[in-house]
Amino acid sequence: MGEVDHSGPQLREVGARASVIGAPITTITELFNYRFLVRNLIRREVRGRYRNAMLGYLWTVIEPALLAIVYWFLFVMLAGQSDEMYPVWVLLGVITWGCFGKSLSATVNSLTGNARTLHLVYFPRTIFPVTAVGANLVISLMSSVVIIPILYFYQITPTIHLIWVPIGIFLSGLMALGFGMMMAPLNCVQRDVAHFTRFLTRAGFFFSPVMWTAEMAMERGSWDAYALWNPMATPITMVRHGLMGKPIDIPMQYVSVSLISILLFWILGTMIFSKYERGAVKYL
Amino acid sequence: MSQNAIEVSNVTLHFPKQRNAFTMLLDVLRRKKRRFTALKNVSIEVKRGEIIGIIGRNGCGKSTLLRVMAGIYPPDEGKSFVAGEISLLAGLGTGFSPHQTGRENAILYGSILGHNEEEMKSKLPEIIEFSELGTFIDEPIRTYSAGMKARLGLAVASAINPDILLIDEVLGVGDPNFREKSKKKILNMVEGAGTVVIVSHSFGLMKSICDRLILIHDGVVSADGNPAEVIQAYHDTND
Repeated sequence: MGEVDHSGPQLREVGARASVIGAPITTITELFNYRFLVRNLIRREVRGRYRNAMLGYLWTVIEPALLAIVYWFLFVMLAGQSDEMYPVWVLLGVITWGCFGKSLSATVNSLTGNARTLHLVYFPRTIFPVTAVGANLVISLMSSVVIIPILYFYQITPTIHLIWVPIGIFLSGLMALGFGMMMAPLNCVQRDVAHFTRFLTRAGFFFSPVMWTAEMAMERGSWDAYALWNPMATPITMVRHGLMGKPIDIPMQYVSVSLISILLFWILGTMIFSKYERGAVKYL
Repeated sequence: MSQNAIEVSNVTLHFPKQRNAFTMLLDVLRRKKRRFTALKNVSIEVKRGEIIGIIGRNGCGKSTLLRVMAGIYPPDEGKSFVAGEISLLAGLGTGFSPHQTGRENAILYGSILGHNEEEMKSKLPEIIEFSELGTFIDEPIRTYSAGMKARLGLAVASAINPDILLIDEVLGVGDPNFREKSKKKILNMVEGAGTVVIVSHSFGLMKSICDRLILIHDGVVSADGNPAEVIQAYHDTND
């Protein structure tokens, strides 16, 4: 290095238009190449969240555990719900939907929130939404440790199906990532997008099986069953059934809708993101 | 085979202006876009091994041009090429996390600048030594003074050896002692890097180290050549 030589590196174009068609695949290889950075950025997010707290990371578990007690008091003691497990269903619904909602808003705001970095350093920008979701997944997975005292309290014997708990949470984060990546560049242009997704998250809370379960919807039949076409119904139900040690026995069409949505969101999300992120930085 | 390290050819770059619903409607009706053109048809070639400086008044497009070279702003028209690994030294300490220790932040910032894990591990002792932070390196950096943060930032940023180095006004951080040391370090990097592009207002320094200067005025290259002549041209345009 240093001396003028004629066999040095070749000229390559910078700031060139990336292939939009290949984005769903190239995004994955980019993330693999930059895994050290992704890991460090996720650590930064997670550390920042539980700073200056005596109990620190324990709060990820304490919070849902306290919520479970509140739900139990509310639904079983006060409202007289006959289903003893109902507070647990709500709690798991809140954790899984919460993971989706927080990941979605983190993805949509991932470019606007890192404006300074975007202006000063170049690395593949898909790293911003991915680390945002990664940090939320780490925290949600830590929260899911709360199922251990629940298993003990309800005397449920853990089975191999417990694996569906982390899988369900992971899928909810992945769905939010793809969905959010479609909107993150647009949010740089007009911040209305962030306000709109916040509304979507609030409304989706009621349209998804958070306060109700897939079984309730199927028992009532007719219109209620349509609610299960919601792609988030499967991840939430996965988490609940996993806890009970049951296989995922909701009809296949609902499961496939969910999985196809996740894949479709990823494909569209990475394509839209890679097409528009290059210009979006100028709006920040 | 080309001997150029950087080729910016006919680059035009616009920045959009903030719009609200009313002005957007107005724009559609008038069929025009509200935008600010930061670079107008700029072409620059930098040979391998050359050290060039870019001067111009505030807001003339110097930093924007560096960021086009670094790939941060994609040009609206024209193209930009570089040969080899390129690194932009600007805004030292971008992405520092106040709640992590100096050591953790050094690794974080290093990875933001594009280092991999092995590189960072091998360079960490050197970085810590250069930063002169002593035992503070294991304290969270929210407890640091501005100068200490700047020192850590420079220590990490200067541990890299890119083929092409872009420097945007990073000289002059910390106390006079450290400033001297950092200047020396940056000059070392300049020598080691081969190809360097510097944006700065300190003409004395530019004159002494640059082979060539480029004057940008309102997004256009208005002079390119011998440092003394270009500095003269700068003073002429300002009068």
